[in-house]
Amino acid sequence: MSWFSFMGALEIGLIFSLVALGVLLSFRLLRFPDLTVDGSFPLGAAVAATLISAGVNPFLATALAVVAAAVAGLTTALLHVKLRIMDLLASILVMIALYSINLRIMGRPNVPLITEPTVFTLLQPAWLSDYIARPLVLLVVVLVCRLLLDWFFATQTGLALRATGANPRMARAQGVSTGRAILGGMALSNALVGLAGALFAQAQGGADISMGLGTIVIGLAAVIIGESMLPSRRLPVITLAVILGALVYRLFIALALNSDFIGLQAQDLNLVTAVLVTVALVLPMLKRRLRAKGD
Amino acid sequence: MLRVDDLYITFNAGTPIETRALRGLSLDIPSGQFVTVIGSNGAGKSTLLNAISGDLPIDSGRIEIDGVDVTPLASWQRARQVARVFQDPLAGTCEDLTIEENLALASMRGQRRGLGRAVRADQRSDFRERLARLGLGLEARLTDRIGLLSGGQRQAVSLLMASLQPSRILLLDEHTAALDPRTAQFVLDLTARIVAENQLTALMVTHSMRQALDVGGRTLMLHQGEVILDVAGAARAELDVPDLLGMFEKVRGEQLVDDVLLLG
Amino acid sequence: MLNRRPATPPSTSARVAHRAPGASRRRALMLSAIMAGVLLGGAAVHAAPPPKSVAVTAIVEHPSLDMVRDGVRDALKAAGYEAGKNLTWQYQSAQGNTATAAQIARKFAGDAPDVIVAIATPSAQAVVAAVKTVPVVYSAVTDPVAAQLVPGMQASGTNVTGVSDALPVEQQIELIRKVVPDARRVGMVYNPGEANSVAVVKQMQELLPKFGMSLVEAAAPRTVDVGSAARSLIGKVDVIYTSTDNNVISAYESLVKVGNDARIPLIASDTESVQRGAVAAAGINYRDVGLQTGRLVVRILQGEKPGAIPSETGGKPQLFLNAGAAQRQGVTLSDSLLKSAAKVIP
Repeated sequence: MSWFSFMGALEIGLIFSLVALGVLLSFRLLRFPDLTVDGSFPLGAAVAATLISAGVNPFLATALAVVAAAVAGLTTALLHVKLRIMDLLASILVMIALYSINLRIMGRPNVPLITEPTVFTLLQPAWLSDYIARPLVLLVVVLVCRLLLDWFFATQTGLALRATGANPRMARAQGVSTGRAILGGMALSNALVGLAGALFAQAQGGADISMGLGTIVIGLAAVIIGESMLPSRRLPVITLAVILGALVYRLFIALALNSDFIGLQAQDLNLVTAVLVTVALVLPMLKRRLRAKGD
Repeated sequence: MLRVDDLYITFNAGTPIETRALRGLSLDIPSGQFVTVIGSNGAGKSTLLNAISGDLPIDSGRIEIDGVDVTPLASWQRARQVARVFQDPLAGTCEDLTIEENLALASMRGQRRGLGRAVRADQRSDFRERLARLGLGLEARLTDRIGLLSGGQRQAVSLLMASLQPSRILLLDEHTAALDPRTAQFVLDLTARIVAENQLTALMVTHSMRQALDVGGRTLMLHQGEVILDVAGAARAELDVPDLLGMFEKVRGEQLVDDVLLLG
Repeated sequence: MLNRRPATPPSTSARVAHRAPGASRRRALMLSAIMAGVLLGGAAVHAAPPPKSVAVTAIVEHPSLDMVRDGVRDALKAAGYEAGKNLTWQYQSAQGNTATAAQIARKFAGDAPDVIVAIATPSAQAVVAAVKTVPVVYSAVTDPVAAQLVPGMQASGTNVTGVSDALPVEQQIELIRKVVPDARRVGMVYNPGEANSVAVVKQMQELLPKFGMSLVEAAAPRTVDVGSAARSLIGKVDVIYTSTDNNVISAYESLVKVGNDARIPLIASDTESVQRGAVAAAGINYRDVGLQTGRLVVRILQGEKPGAIPSETGGKPQLFLNAGAAQRQGVTLSDSLLKSAAKVIP
């Protein structure tokens, strides 16, 4: 694998680690199966790309993209909390609606950012090439997000949120408004995903209406791989684990892209990725079994 | 302090399995009283507790705590005044959270939660102290997940949680039913101690007539959604289980045939 | 994991057995001269240019895009570059995933081939955004300027050039009028999520009124929606026109069914669809687009700078007609039209 390939995998992996953090919050902590992300990821991209093309400052555009995605998450939560629509269904409804909304926002299916200023081009020092600068910027963003999340989960409100997912009845008995907790948690979760979408559009050359497909799969794969590699109950370790999970997943894809030397072809990419991920999931379990036998 | 006026709750109204759980139940409990509630299955005991805590919507009637009509309030809004210990030890605590996190949650019951740290250092030492008084060695296990504790230990912690913040009323829903006899006795003694120490008003549902008479100062007997017996003070002190049975038969004109009730 | 370069072909050396001196020497000399001539002549055809590498990517596996890729490979072969011999050929499909497209672009940047070929807009954008020095040739992109691949269709001055598959829309409208002379309402089935199709729809909306015609749109966001979109046009249109939309091309049979059942003439933009049941198409053949693209690649391999090569529009549209379909869909094809066709399917 070339250095470029590796840095490329890191770059994309860091972007999707934000998705993984969002999915961790919704799926694991709130126990809310949230498919909105397939719509809020491209929503973040659409808002950022459209605003940047219209001349808005990329940082402001990114911030607005985050807000838009938070609203999407809030909508899903409202459908569930106020209108009593089943959680999974509510998220699917919003995801479907977002396809049309994103097309409306962009005005066309594809908004390129190749010649536009982005947060990356603005932050890149002249002496550093872009394929190193982008992962560096993303690393800082991801670490800041993780630190903020770890701090938040240790606050009273964060604890109330975790209780809402762990045992909603008990949480209510302790005076937690579980409805409000879900609203806030879903907004935060999708805000993270929207941030990822906005950054992805700026790193990869534009927003395309089809870019949301499969976001939830990547997010869940990252969470599961991460939890498998670094099992823990402590939240700071868990947030680190899902970030690593996202990186490992994209590295596996990079490996699969480079596997033509063993006779595999382009169409085998998905199969190779699946095999690598399965091995990653099974290996820790095998190690534990071997260790148990040896005792 | 707690007033229940003419409460009606019907499940599955209009269907073949319609159940009229509470039929015009009324109740008045002064502050500081420890009331035990007894009755056969389907008498409406748990339904009454769930109605008071806000977990069940009512068809008609009124619930007042300290003169404030809480009937329209959601359960999380009543939590400031109502503390609960559930029958199922799993239901009353968050399995995935640590002991100190559970206690921290309970310590904020009824308060506005902000962005301050959930478990502060000064809180920790307070928790340790209180846990030590339980005599279960839990004060050394603050960062253990509560899921690792036994049922009895969890109920003890639940009781502690219920007493961390002042509440107007403590609801205990057969909270020793899922425990073995020795642990049940331990938790019962703990209950009596905590209620006395904090001068709580308490409503305890039990399936055991023995328990109902031994604990607290007033006993209510429910049958088919209504209060059929209400004894307190001196009259209650003289009573024994067969007496309760006799009173029941006199009021209802029928024999009590619930095994659990008789043997408990 | 380095890409292994194939060994250079063995140098040609004439091995001639020397026989008896004198007449045999003269014979030997003539023989060697003939052999040398043959070999040199042959070398002119088979002599391997120095080994090169070409990396190709498409956003998804799809008949049109695959034809482009094969066309590129054939053009390279015709110019003497053959995979496995003197050409390292790499093809990666992004499986429809933009994140994978981004990783492929970065991988190619690292592999640093002599030329990168990017087929279809999302892949082309990913490559152009990630690759600043390696020559990039895009293909099958309808509007490369709107996609910000190149500043204009003239020589870009950057590392990017390519072949667009845009069809002049006036020609398409002319064809519609020739096949269905009294058509007033033109229906279009397309994927609103495909940039190429949206571009064509916009142009049709602008130009049709000039001919006294109007456009009726029917959206098909997924291939399974093509049939129902076509059915929604029954009774509302006189003819159904489709562009090189990926969804439509994938599900063209469902369109044909509607056209035959409701007797609505179908006019397509690619010649393959005429084989499948459209009445007519003045379309580009995607293999030809591939060949054209391949020829640009060859020029770059032979030393030209991509920034000095202006972008091209894919080939001359060829007119294909389907007489059987015309009959089924209630259309009479004029003799002049039939004569001007490159191919008439019975």
